[in-house]
Amino acid sequence: MTTTEHHESAAHEGLGPRQYVTIFAILTVVTVIELWLSYSDIGGLLIPLLILLSAFKFVVVVAYFMHLRFEPRILNRLFAGGFVLATLVLFALISLFWNDITHPLG
Amino acid sequence: MATAAGTLPQYGTHTGLWSWITTVDHKRIGTMYLVTSFSFFILGGIEALLIRSQLAVPDGNVIDAELYNQLFSMHALTMIFLAVMPMAAAFFNWMIPLMIGARDVAFPRMNALSYWLYLFGALLLTSSFFFTAPNSGWFAYAPLTTLQYGPSQAMDFYVVGLLILGISSVAASLNFAVTIINMRAPGMTMMRLPVFVWMTLIIAFLLFLALPPLTVGLIQLLFDRNFTTHFFIPDGGGDPILWQHLFWVFGHPEVYILILPPMGIISEVIPTFSRKPLFGYSAMVFAGIAIGFMSWAVWSHHMFTTGLNPIPRAIFAANTMLIGVPTGIKIFNWLGTMYGGNIRFNTAMLFAVSFIPLFTIGGISGVMHSSPPIDGQHQDTYFIVAHLHYVLVAGAVMGMFSGLYYWFPKMTGRFLNETLGKWNFWLMFAGVNLTFFPMHFLGLAGMPRRIYTYADGMDWGFWNAVATIGAFTLALGVLFFIINVFASLRKEPTASDNPWDAPTLEWATSSPPPEHDFDVVPPVRARDPLWYDRDHGIARPEPTDEHIHMPPPSYYPILLAAGVLMLGLGPLSSLAVTALGVPVILYAIWGWALEPTH
Amino acid sequence: MAAEAHAAPVHHATSTGTDNRKLLMWLFLASECLFFGSLIASFLVFKARMVLPPFPHAREIDSSLLAGLPEVIQEQCAHVVSDTLVECHGILDIPVTSASTFVLLGSSLAMVLAVYGAQHSRPGMMKAWLLITALLGLTFLGFQVYEFRTFGSEGLNLSTNQFGASFFVLTGFHGTHVGVGVVYLLSLLAASFRRNGLGPEAGFHVETAGLYWHFVDIVWIVIFTVLYLIPS
Repeated sequence: MTTTEHHESAAHEGLGPRQYVTIFAILTVVTVIELWLSYSDIGGLLIPLLILLSAFKFVVVVAYFMHLRFEPRILNRLFAGGFVLATLVLFALISLFWNDITHPLG
Repeated sequence: MATAAGTLPQYGTHTGLWSWITTVDHKRIGTMYLVTSFSFFILGGIEALLIRSQLAVPDGNVIDAELYNQLFSMHALTMIFLAVMPMAAAFFNWMIPLMIGARDVAFPRMNALSYWLYLFGALLLTSSFFFTAPNSGWFAYAPLTTLQYGPSQAMDFYVVGLLILGISSVAASLNFAVTIINMRAPGMTMMRLPVFVWMTLIIAFLLFLALPPLTVGLIQLLFDRNFTTHFFIPDGGGDPILWQHLFWVFGHPEVYILILPPMGIISEVIPTFSRKPLFGYSAMVFAGIAIGFMSWAVWSHHMFTTGLNPIPRAIFAANTMLIGVPTGIKIFNWLGTMYGGNIRFNTAMLFAVSFIPLFTIGGISGVMHSSPPIDGQHQDTYFIVAHLHYVLVAGAVMGMFSGLYYWFPKMTGRFLNETLGKWNFWLMFAGVNLTFFPMHFLGLAGMPRRIYTYADGMDWGFWNAVATIGAFTLALGVLFFIINVFASLRKEPTASDNPWDAPTLEWATSSPPPEHDFDVVPPVRARDPLWYDRDHGIARPEPTDEHIHMPPPSYYPILLAAGVLMLGLGPLSSLAVTALGVPVILYAIWGWALEPTH
Repeated sequence: MAAEAHAAPVHHATSTGTDNRKLLMWLFLASECLFFGSLIASFLVFKARMVLPPFPHAREIDSSLLAGLPEVIQEQCAHVVSDTLVECHGILDIPVTSASTFVLLGSSLAMVLAVYGAQHSRPGMMKAWLLITALLGLTFLGFQVYEFRTFGSEGLNLSTNQFGASFFVLTGFHGTHVGVGVVYLLSLLAASFRRNGLGPEAGFHVETAGLYWHFVDIVWIVIFTVLYLIPS
């Protein structure tokens, strides 16, 4: 047994198969809600709601299935940094194109 | 003192070609990076000299237009991807583990893999000269890269070469990020890291985060050329501007990837030869981090003339001006370090000091272009050529030479000759200014970039002639360096452990270091640890008789790199080669994973 | 202190306390965020500008645009709305893709159970769930092959329009990642049948593979929402 493993098994002692199944059930329910939303006619709320729900799923998988919640803060920050940067670049790129009223320079 | 290090028996010391092919020692890999990147630096220099010969007089006819296009494109690709970046990687390999007090990088075999991928990618890209070399600039704007306007395989070489080099860089940067975060000697806290190590950490993050957008752009280009998509082809609904965005999302952080390592180097050289600790260490570190962050929000300043909305244009312009602030902080800190110091002007210091004003010239002309109207005037003129070469040649290359003179004794145990060094420096100093300063005038006089010749009546002849003379002066300076290296290597090794009385850990072991770097990993008690120990009379700990385990050599890295090369050769030859590459890769990875490392 | 993959289990003292290999995997995943982020951004850029069918979701277009398009595509726009407008049906099959989404989600559950088995010295549990994870991954790939073939038969390929190009490249690269993951998991499974199994660090190796697998799953969570659920 290495020190790493001691550290890790101590870190997520709380999570066992039962909790994992519960988390999976939550993810399933949220996905079903997403599907239901996409078929229902709720207008302008749809896109923000869908983004919110899938972000929730994203965070749950990262935090519990990938154990990031139980890892040292440095891992959290490093991965979150990359993810936030990716999101910002993605939004910047899209907004540059979607508002593409090209003006002459000057 | 000098004999204390290196007295333990060396494990796994081998000689011969096979030992280089299978080595996982960061110092040997660093040496291979250095020799390879310097060779490509020479090649890129020859390309530049051909360009300058062609432009020396109006209506020049040294080379034709098609070859000219290939030469200026390959000059940029060679210098950026095959010379300056890997030369920085050579210094990372050699110095980072030593400076943080580690015995190797976190993943020695992955380190070897990065080198072999770099070598294979570089050879692949350069071999395009036997067919048609990439000829649409290093940024490869669509539609020049489409099948319609670029029917030769030049752009396929570009795509595949850069993809392989990209994998190499991502692997190397991940490796160095982990090494710096996780492999520090006891007492080496983050805020005691030498500034060079900090700059390496920052560019490691920039590399593995900025390369994916380029990778996506390259993949889309590959599909456009080989698999009938229209990502960048307007006829099919595509958008050439998308390529520009993806390219510059990578391309601007890339600029800092090129310049931060030399900034780190001179942040080591200037304190050592001023015999004073670096002025404003924390400001230096945070300025580097600020540059790293801000480099993500300036990319569109390369694209002002493509037309942007007023608001994003204002944001990108403002950010481009702001990024000058942390850069300015660095410049004042170097000046503050020298102020009141007991300065030794040897060659390493001369190169480092010259970096400051020369880089400032390039930096200030950069801030000029943050203003969109001015940028519109200068776009695609020689003014931009002057700007970028002041940053990359007068800045980055001069900084690299400073590092070469500074660390040569550590790498080889021998000093570079100072007389030849002074010739080397002054010729290069005169050369860069003669070459690139006149380009400001040419640009303002309206001379466009990338033209293979110009008419007599344009009145551009005089400054072009001066620039060409400058380029050959620069080349002569580099020649002095090569002579210096060969002459110095023939001398007896005379360098002590710490010949410069430098403050950082790489000088706490023999010159050159033993394979295991340190007989005893030195405890770190302060920033500038060797000066602290010197001033407090703390002797280096005696080596104990413990067995130091070093990873054994492995041939899987080169095999895996060969598999990746085969994967990449597919689009250039037949997809069967790609298919053959997959089992090679799988075999190499499985062998790698199951190989015993102790 | 030669911390290399499979280093001797004596040295794990790193500066941050986190194992080098785990740190490497997380940094690699951060890098992958930008890779998929750029692919998704490209998709969205073109999504706003789609002119010609096939479309991902139902949409009305000017009937004159249909002229010259292959018959198989024209058939998708058979619903006449008015003199000048026709409605094209969306080519994405949400129910089928929902099924494959649940398959991938289920594989994530199987993966954490394999990690649990590996970390709690239950090799039987680990092997069984590793196999199930890989099989679910293969099932997902099967769905993808089916989807690609169906689209092909409906006239959508890489060159048809920008939707086709950016859809196939984005989901294709995601599928490639799933495929690599399947090979990764099956390799671990094969290695676990050796005499020493996966060695003293079995839990660690399976956990690292799990990080990769879950990441591929969360990328799909984003793709499913952005491509499939959000209408034109």
